[in-house]
Amino acid sequence: MRFFNKHRNVELIISQELIDEIGIVGVEHFPNEFGGFLTGRYSDDYNTLFINDFVLPKASKGSRFQFVRRSKGMKKFFRKLFQSKKEYYVGEWHTHPNGSTQFSSTDLNAMMEIESAPSVKIKNPVLLILSVTNKKLDNATFYIYDNKKLLPYE
Amino acid sequence: MATNKQEYLQTVLETHRMSHVEDLVNKFKSKRDEVKDALTSHYGSQIYSPFDSGSFKKHTAINTKFDLDVVVPVKRDSFDTLDKMFDSFYDFLSDEFGENATVRKQTVSIGIIFEEDSDGDVISLDIVPGRELSQDQYSNDKKLNLFVSSDYGIFSSSTYIQTNIQAQIDHIKAKDNERKIIRLLKIWNNNDGKEFKSFLLELITIKAFDTEDISGNLWEKLQQVMTYIKDNVTNDSFKLIDPGNSNNDLMDTLTSWGRTNLSSRMGTMLDRIESNSDNIKGYFPTNSDFEEEDKSSSSGYGVKTGAAAFSTPPDNQRFG
Repeated sequence: MRFFNKHRNVELIISQELIDEIGIVGVEHFPNEFGGFLTGRYSDDYNTLFINDFVLPKASKGSRFQFVRRSKGMKKFFRKLFQSKKEYYVGEWHTHPNGSTQFSSTDLNAMMEIESAPSVKIKNPVLLILSVTNKKLDNATFYIYDNKKLLPYE
Repeated sequence: MATNKQEYLQTVLETHRMSHVEDLVNKFKSKRDEVKDALTSHYGSQIYSPFDSGSFKKHTAINTKFDLDVVVPVKRDSFDTLDKMFDSFYDFLSDEFGENATVRKQTVSIGIIFEEDSDGDVISLDIVPGRELSQDQYSNDKKLNLFVSSDYGIFSSSTYIQTNIQAQIDHIKAKDNERKIIRLLKIWNNNDGKEFKSFLLELITIKAFDTEDISGNLWEKLQQVMTYIKDNVTNDSFKLIDPGNSNNDLMDTLTSWGRTNLSSRMGTMLDRIESNSDNIKGYFPTNSDFEEEDKSSSSGYGVKTGAAAFSTPPDNQRFG
């Protein structure tokens, strides 16, 4: 699947199978929110992002309206991923059980913190929000973070 | 319109980033290396390799006020007494750099403030000589005795203080969340009379994170740390142990009035920000020199390092 963000004039490419897989994990955790990391790579001209996989956090806590994920102890994992496949952390995903795919102010604040962290080398991490029910994935929206804003892909 | 506290604090930190003053930082580093080379050449085998410390090394520096600290570990047998060591360093640095700089004795360091250069920049360095406790012991445990040339809280009557600066540096390693709060508290402190030691604010922030479950966005973390300070510093049993020497309690550098003052200042700030979010701007100002910078180009995915590299996302992020 190919998504486009007009604001930064960038593309995002991800397979439908991968979105479905993420959705299955999200449905398994219904009615609580759940999420994790997205990994992939940019094209040489940095105009296209290929999301190739998702990663579950080693520790997390989800409730109906909130999800906290840890990343402690995962530096080694991300280093190995880069060394072996030249792929890296590109963003975050989480579910909104029985909710919309609209991001919340909490989501925006988290993305601001993520982008400003010295350990994060990218300026435009993406956020995937999946609307899930107890049975299935309803909808999914990708957002690009840019200068304290989250802007949807179409 | 109400201020978005989280967003505003991000801007405060952004405008205080050291990367905005890279040219100036390079001048500091160049002078620091010059001084290090002079010390190494002069003292030779009397000292171990000088190393960097202070806020720069700890990644808690802010661009409105900073200096570079250099610690010089001195071998035990090089000087009979600590005051002779301190005087020797002062005399040498005065002879070597005194023509173009003001060299002065400070609490545990010798300050060198170089004359303004053609760009109007003033470079200042703090040189901290410290003698190992016994011959060759420094290599094993990094402990040093520092000469104290003026008041240092309850140590005003003593003439030396034992510490382990490497342990102090290690204490804040890989603590990104704590560093952000420390920078914000330093920005407040510098803007508000600089009554409190940066090291005290550093230790109290780390202790708050160690003791409490500090989480949420940047504002929420700052709010929780400020509440922790307000609630605890007036407690007589509250201690802030120096990671460089377990016998040093940084709380002893505050008088009883100082503790009450710190607690009430935190309380007032929290109340005023709660009653009107715009009040946060008075306590935590942005650095207006760098406010207008647009950090992103208009197209393409941005990377901070010039090329894609692996990232480790920060710990403990909350989504809703």
